[in-house]
Amino acid sequence: MTEAKVRDALLAARVPDELEAQRRSWAAVRGAYAEREPEPPPRQLRLLVAVAVVAALVAAALSPPGRSVGGWIRDRVAGEEGAAPALVRLPSAGRLLVVSEQGPWIVRPDGSKRLLGNYDDASFSPNALFVVATEERRVVALDLGGKVRWTVTRPTPVADARWAPSPGFHVAYREGETLRVVGGDGEGDALLAEGVAAVAPAWRPGEGRTVLAYAATDGRVHVVEADGEELWTADPGAAPEQLLWSDDAGVLLVRTAGRRHPLYGAAGRPAGALETAGGRDVLDAAFAPGTRDLAFTAYDPESGQSTIVVAGQQLQRGDGRLEDVVFSPNGRWLLSGWPEADQFLFLRLPGVSAIEATSDMRREFDPGGIGATTFPRVAEWCCR
Amino acid sequence: MAGAGRDERAWVRGAQAGSASDFEALFRAHWPRAYRAAFLVVHDAAGAEDVAQEAFLAAVRALDRFDSRRPFGPWLHRIVVNRAIDWARSRALRREVGAGQAIEGVAAEERGDPAAPLPEDVVAALASLSPDHRAVVVLRYVLEYTPGEIARMLELPRGTVNSRLRRGLDALQGAVGPPEER
Repeated sequence: MTEAKVRDALLAARVPDELEAQRRSWAAVRGAYAEREPEPPPRQLRLLVAVAVVAALVAAALSPPGRSVGGWIRDRVAGEEGAAPALVRLPSAGRLLVVSEQGPWIVRPDGSKRLLGNYDDASFSPNALFVVATEERRVVALDLGGKVRWTVTRPTPVADARWAPSPGFHVAYREGETLRVVGGDGEGDALLAEGVAAVAPAWRPGEGRTVLAYAATDGRVHVVEADGEELWTADPGAAPEQLLWSDDAGVLLVRTAGRRHPLYGAAGRPAGALETAGGRDVLDAAFAPGTRDLAFTAYDPESGQSTIVVAGQQLQRGDGRLEDVVFSPNGRWLLSGWPEADQFLFLRLPGVSAIEATSDMRREFDPGGIGATTFPRVAEWCCR
Repeated sequence: MAGAGRDERAWVRGAQAGSASDFEALFRAHWPRAYRAAFLVVHDAAGAEDVAQEAFLAAVRALDRFDSRRPFGPWLHRIVVNRAIDWARSRALRREVGAGQAIEGVAAEERGDPAAPLPEDVVAALASLSPDHRAVVVLRYVLEYTPGEIARMLELPRGTVNSRLRRGLDALQGAVGPPEER
């Protein structure tokens, strides 16, 4: 058989249900097109080299006050004045996933909140239609009303369940020192890797192959396909604590327990590093949607203060640990939790063109609780 | 490529500016090949519809960031084929786990399930290949990409693409009939 005959046969073959499938899909796609929000003016994607430059600027910007490169934009020590007494609305579209002592909560733009159940951790499905949560030895998929769709029960405790990017065919989770993958419908649970550290795996975003990064107990980072085929591995030099892909999947940031947090480009090539001066710890980091702009919070144990930095620019400083930086889906707002002030801070970008703060967040996500309550963790803000 | 050229760039720019008719033109120009490619990799009509539809939804989400000077087809086809591979692998995994269901499913296909009406020998032989091999064959012979382009789309070494093409053709020849002169 010639190549031409293969081509002719494949192009001539009747494909079932083509017109009906086209009609149904057009209805769905047309609807999505009609509902789409215009993007903000496009910002130029930073090249890998530029990331390294930004990292250098960040290191300089975090030098002690008096020698800093950029002036402080906001400096609040004990909480934002004039904060709203409760979280009654989100400043931007999307749903917020907050995890408190009581379990994961869904917050809608109108401020309405729903507790999904007594789970330890949770993350959204790609379009935020479902949530995957963990509870001791169970991985549980829930709809946003808290109804259980499927569960996987394992012999030992599980954690860090993460749903693969759209269309969400896989969910990865840790069981002890193993990494497992189950289908998005709860079927086909299988072992992916052993010797895995207690760090949440990170699925690579985007439209290519289904790929995820995980940290091993020996300190190395591995990037593998969903069926276990290894694409590359790297030694970040210190124990990984967070794995984070840029939205375009071009860069992987490995936040470590050390002072240097390396960035890797395609095929694992080193692409600079985030380094903070003066013994500061990076508490959390996030890439802005659609860009390689990096936001992070840095904590200085000596002064007991934290700083929020976005794309090399210091936006906010405050007493204690400013935790959990999360971008709104359109990238126009940055949310950070501030335990010392018991506040959520919503900073409008670029710079801080507006700020919305909400108080009493412990009680907000632990209503009826008695005694001391841990500060709720802002997990995700998704989707348009 | 279907829809390539000046018209397509104008449709992309129009769709980015909010023209529903331009977006519809883009959809109608690209749907048939996207759906065919997806079907030939997943060999399941509902799965192919999901894959192709999801690719267009991804296009909607990324429309504002898409560089209108670039051809739309390769970008869309990359999504379609990679997702089709994932879909087919995911189904294969479920079959391994649910052995009883797997036997039923395979038996239905071997009996010539009318829900999958593709009697052509070449297409049936294609179904016997792995999803990764099917994807390479479809990209080469249905979507007409060069091995170098396929390597970039699937993030594979070019040698792997060539060997998968060779193995795919051999399998099709073995299933359909003796090789002919080239």
